[in-house]
This record gives sequence, structure tokens and C-alpha cells, in this order.
Amino acid sequence: MAWLQASALGHAMRESGVWTYGFVNLVHILGVATLFGAVLVLDLRLLGLWRNVTLPAISKPTVPVAATGFVIAVVSGVCLLATKATEYIGNPFLYIKFPAIGLGVLNVVALNCLRAWKQHKSRELSSREQVTLAIFGGISLVCWLTAITAGRMIGYW
Amino acid sequence: MYSRLSLCISRTILALSLSALPASAHHGWAGNLDEEFELTGTVERGVSLAGPHATMQLRADGKVWDLTLAPPARTERAGLKEGIIPVGATVTIHGHRNRDANRFEVKTERVTWNGRTFNVYPDRK
Repeated sequence: MAWLQASALGHAMRESGVWTYGFVNLVHILGVATLFGAVLVLDLRLLGLWRNVTLPAISKPTVPVAATGFVIAVVSGVCLLATKATEYIGNPFLYIKFPAIGLGVLNVVALNCLRAWKQHKSRELSSREQVTLAIFGGISLVCWLTAITAGRMIGYW
Repeated sequence: MYSRLSLCISRTILALSLSALPASAHHGWAGNLDEEFELTGTVERGVSLAGPHATMQLRADGKVWDLTLAPPARTERAGLKEGIIPVGATVTIHGHRNRDANRFEVKTERVTWNGRTFNVYPDRK
């Protein structure tokens, strides 16, 4: 944390004007909104909503939008953290948020190793495979909701 | 097993979120006492206009107090720019102390130094 705060990024965040933090905060919110909006639609489909829309029709737009939002949120988030990184040491919400993000990413990695997910664009999935994907969708929702909730609460600690 | 774990995690989060609401450091005044608070001390660390709120540190009665000022742009508009008040100068501040008696933090409305008053929250008493 001390290293991050002392980094060139930390200096830039602190010394580039009184609106910098607010602007980067805006970018962070847009990134989170982009990520979660896309994730929500995909996860609800995996959980069984909108069965008359095929899964590929929903995964095709939502996956790249979610990935883009994730990158925007991570980059802007590191900037926000670098501003006064040491002040967050001991903030319990940080210790909830980061593991939740880690689990969310692990969930995506695990999903991508799954045969059902790899083949969902080329064939019909069995009902058992659909249940498996629904579990991944549920875990994903819990992870990202947890990360966002804890993230929002960091400032209120 | 996964869903039971998820439920457990989400319940924990909800409980933590609710319990933490009154402990706010910024983003509102709920985490601070209603009564007016005044403190005189010497500047330990000068005004910083970085982050969600401007900050400075004051040493008084052998303790270092964290002062949370207005957001950076608003603090600057009140004339309280970085480097104006030198480290070691004696200042008096007015605001609201953190509800937690173990936290030496004041959400600060006014800073008076050398006959000048910087009123970063002019619409507050």
C-alpha cells in the first residue's frame, strides 16, 4: 500500500488538480456499471430467465461488454486506491471487496474451462449442463454484488 | 454446497453493511457528533487537496488529529489551498468530532489561522 501511494501513479493522482479524483471516480462507476449490467443479464439467463432467447444470443454481446467494464473498473480503481492507499489499511470492506473480486474472476476462469460453456454456441446443452451453468451464474451474481456492496461501503467506514 | 456458501457470504455482507452505516468517515455527517467541536493545535501535516476530501493533520494535547475538510474543489474555493498554512502554525478549527471517542477525527467546517477564517462549509453553523 505504501509503495502504491508513493508510486508515480499516486503522485499523479494527488498532484493533478482538485477534480482528478472526482473524474476518475466517475470512470470507475461507469466501469462498474458496464461490468455489472452485462453480468446481470448473462447470469439471469444462466439462472433460467428468458429461456426463449438462446444463450449464445445473450453471451455474445454481454461477455465482451463485461470484460471491457472490468478492465475500466480495475484501471480506474487502482488509480483511486493509489491516491491515499495507506488510509485504507484496516478498512474491513477492502478485505471483503478484493477477495470477492478474486472469486468472481476465478469463477469466470472455471466457467471457461467447462465443456458446457465451451460448446454452448455449437450445440444444445443437456438439462444437467444447464443446471451447472446456473450454479456458475449464481456464484457470479453473489461475487459481484458482494464486491460492489463492499466497495461502496469503503468510504463510509 | 455452492448455493449454501453463497447464502452465507451474502448474509455476512448484509450484516456487515448494516452495522457499518453509522461509522462514516466522510460522505456525510452521520458518523460525527451533533455538538459543535473546537480544537486549537499546531499543523502536523498541511492541507492536502487529494482524494475524495481535502485533509490536514493537527497536533493538540499530544495527539495527532485527522481533519476531514470539504471535497478538494470546494476547499480550494474557500481559499484553503495547499501550502498556505505552514506546518507548525497554530490554528483553531471548528467542526464535528467522530462519534467514536477512540478516533481523533474531526469533520471540519472552518479553519482559523493568523486572523483568517477559511469556511469550507459556509452553509453550516
